[in-house]
Amino acid sequence: MSPHRAENDVRLDSAEGAYGEGRESRALCVYAALIALLVSALAANLCVGTVGVPLDRIVPILTGRFQDEVAYQVIWNIRLPRLCAAALLGGALGLAGLLLQTLFANPIAGPYILGISNGAKLAVAVVMILVLGEERAMSSWMSLFAAFCGSLLTMMAVLAVSGRVRSASTLVIVGVMIGYVCSAATDILITFASDANIVNLHNWSLGSFSGINGGQVMLIAVVVGVGAVVTFLLSKPLGAYQLGEAYAESMGVNVRSFRISVIVISSVLASCVTAFAGPISFVGVAVPHVARRLLKTSRPHVVIPAAFLTGSVACLVCDLLARTLFAPVELTVSTVTAVFGAPVVIWVLLRRRRQVG
Amino acid sequence: MRQTPDHIPGAFVETRDLAVGYEGQVLVDGIQLQVRSGQVVTLVGPNGAGKSTILKTVAGQLDALGGCVLLRGKNLCQVPVRARAQEISVMLTDRVHTELLTCADIVEMGRYPYTGRLGAPTPEDRHKVREAMGLLRVWDLRDHDFMQLSDGQRQRVLLARAVCQEPRTLILDEPTSHLDVRYQIELLSVLRHLAHDQGLGILMTLHELPLARRVSDWLVCVKEGRITLQGTPEQVFVPSVIDDLYDLVPGSYDALTGDVALPEGTGNGRGAHAQA
Repeated sequence: MSPHRAENDVRLDSAEGAYGEGRESRALCVYAALIALLVSALAANLCVGTVGVPLDRIVPILTGRFQDEVAYQVIWNIRLPRLCAAALLGGALGLAGLLLQTLFANPIAGPYILGISNGAKLAVAVVMILVLGEERAMSSWMSLFAAFCGSLLTMMAVLAVSGRVRSASTLVIVGVMIGYVCSAATDILITFASDANIVNLHNWSLGSFSGINGGQVMLIAVVVGVGAVVTFLLSKPLGAYQLGEAYAESMGVNVRSFRISVIVISSVLASCVTAFAGPISFVGVAVPHVARRLLKTSRPHVVIPAAFLTGSVACLVCDLLARTLFAPVELTVSTVTAVFGAPVVIWVLLRRRRQVG
Repeated sequence: MRQTPDHIPGAFVETRDLAVGYEGQVLVDGIQLQVRSGQVVTLVGPNGAGKSTILKTVAGQLDALGGCVLLRGKNLCQVPVRARAQEISVMLTDRVHTELLTCADIVEMGRYPYTGRLGAPTPEDRHKVREAMGLLRVWDLRDHDFMQLSDGQRQRVLLARAVCQEPRTLILDEPTSHLDVRYQIELLSVLRHLAHDQGLGILMTLHELPLARRVSDWLVCVKEGRITLQGTPEQVFVPSVIDDLYDLVPGSYDALTGDVALPEGTGNGRGAHAQA
């Protein structure tokens, strides 16, 4: 177009505007693989357990046949709500991790690592024990709201610290410490609460998908669904934010409202997980990295759906392992997710050090 | 000052009695600046004089502590962010850390103020990306990971991004740092091309005085909290002015060659410092 360029670079005209070739096909392959994995993980979660259900029975049971069999009850009342919760909350964790990593410009940020999950847990425990007393049960809405307030407060504390520290790893250490303090406070509350619910409370405070009922699944689906759609709609400013706040602002991102949206949405997603399944470790921080590596890009509109799917698959597989590995004894799901997630975090840290130093 | 007759005269950016600084602390005040179409305006002066602070305030990243910035006659704080992004684009000295983004991805971000809700680029946007990358000679790097480039290549990619944003005014903080001399000259000739042939206004800071002298239409000297002098290169590049601006021993600056002489006996004297 300009004479200056035509002189310098004649080759340009042969390669008409083409860049990023082959990325669509890679994305398609990754998505196909993730969906295949998700379907197999769902099927495995339905079939495997103390009551084995053969694969060819699943579809008839799901369409309403064999209603008087034990398998029907097990599938509909126990496994289906549990796997729906694991899939939805796993996806929510993946998205929350992605949002927090962008917001803090920190590759090792995640709801658990920054102490946000434990903050939410403390708030739920406080409301459950101190406010409601021993007689009344707590509604799902109330625990969701308490968890949201706890998440938001912890996030504000971490944000206040992040304004003072430059180093990504220092911020994470602070987050981990905040998480420990909240967890310790929760343990104290649980110790002194004399209540029949204490066993449940204790299991929940370690992280588990068990005991979630159909009504709660509906609520989770609505909250996570809204959160996921809003996250996807934020993909444009999320992309610009990867160059840093100053560049994002110069491109026309309204930084203040963007930050508020990210804080609120990631709190909603993280608190939904904590309210129903307790704090689940390392999924939030590890999943976005896995999704980005698979896709070989970090452009948000490609990564966001993949992060959701990867989170779903991760939680489904980890939950399956948690309940079958040492059956009938059930592991907490956080134990399993830590085994897979922590090495990913170490890998990210080592890679980053090599790049910077 | 050179005039480009095919553009209506009128300042793209204008400051009126502007005061800039951080957290209420005024660093430079009484700033009267104008950037017109086709004009390269360069801020020069010692380190810490507040040149970058002026740029950040004009770009809207810092609030003015007094006076105002006008974008084509409109007060900057009343211009919506998207409209502002179509008027001004920036290249900063901040280090950019990305993960798994190609150079074309970075340049494509320059289309941000023009794309829709989800930011999907149209064929026209992709064409502009190619054009900007061609202009800065980084088209061959289009599918390379940004983090694996040399500092100089990154600098050119970031400038391509700023160009791709199609602003009226480009604001550049130290655009030639990290560049070797060949790319410094090439980059500055690109800037002149953008200003003189495409009518952009350019406001930047430069440390290299000989380069500033060659590329600028208008120079602004910033020292000790105020603008000490502004004018054409001929007016500013006078030995007494430069010696005074950088507190050099009188006679250190050679107006004819643009060289700075080293004081006898001190290997890393103040003269060398002024050029660094």
